[in-house]
Amino acid sequence: MSYQFERLKVLVVDDNAHMRKLVTTILQAFGVIQIYEAESAERAWVVLRESNPDVCVLDWMMEGMSGLELVEMIRTNPQAPNPFMPVIMLTGHTHIDRVRQARDAGVNEFIAKPVSVKTMMQRLVAVIESPRPYVRTEAYFGPCRRRRGAEEYRGPERREKKDAAAQAAE
Amino acid sequence: MAREQPIELFMPPNMLKAKVGGGTFAGLDMSAIRRAEAAMEGIKSEFAAWAASDVEKLMAARARFAKTPDSASRDAMLRAAHDMKGQAATFNYPLVARVSGSLSKLIGELPPEKPLPMGLVDAHVNAIHVIYRDKVMDESNKLALALSVELEGQVAEALKR
Repeated sequence: MSYQFERLKVLVVDDNAHMRKLVTTILQAFGVIQIYEAESAERAWVVLRESNPDVCVLDWMMEGMSGLELVEMIRTNPQAPNPFMPVIMLTGHTHIDRVRQARDAGVNEFIAKPVSVKTMMQRLVAVIESPRPYVRTEAYFGPCRRRRGAEEYRGPERREKKDAAAQAAE
Repeated sequence: MAREQPIELFMPPNMLKAKVGGGTFAGLDMSAIRRAEAAMEGIKSEFAAWAASDVEKLMAARARFAKTPDSASRDAMLRAAHDMKGQAATFNYPLVARVSGSLSKLIGELPPEKPLPMGLVDAHVNAIHVIYRDKVMDESNKLALALSVELEGQVAEALKR
């Protein structure tokens, strides 16, 4: 049975009108009907509270508030309608430091530009089928930043053996 | 380094799955992918106009920076180059994407306290303008490729200084 994407509300945030058109064209072809657009993070914050979308597709680099700052607001601001809302970030930044920075802000999934249809579908399916657990620490609230399944590691405990060997040597 | 201890780790209810369904694991909806790819083909005719407006936006950002060289105009130029890098490959201009990427790297990675080498910025903007004007969509176009490689090399040098 395929997904009923027509039930989904998606917010697309990008200050570039062409990129918004590209993303909304893809989402509409998937069957998404309820698409909200925002040309800035500030406008997106208003739309978020008015419409409470299910998923946000967000650009990183925008004039004024950045995409990352918006994600932090979604996760931690008491006025955010849904702090668990999946955020898929569109980015031209593929350097690992940038990916870490976005992950640390609470981004669920990434799409590296140029946007492809298949990648968009894969990321949507990922947030539907494989949601990450959420973590609340003193410094962070958002999706678990560990690789999926890392907590289910069933291999040998090499660290413990190393520690025991070090203790024996003392 | 001490590992940050989670205070709370929990799995919120999967409201999204409850909303859109899809069986046990629907996976990729290939028919939806085909529909979207057809829709993308449908808007490809608009790409040329989009690319032209992006080139204009970059040139306007460059002109604004020349008039008022502050952090706001520098950021505007970076955003224009970054947007173009992200979109040019979709628009079938891989070398425009490459040169825009090189310009983004220069503006984004040069410490803000260092002045931008404007000759090198202009060389990038002009290269983007010419590659787009001449509709160079072939990644192996010798002249455009040599220009891209040269600009990337000069950016690497500028960032080392």
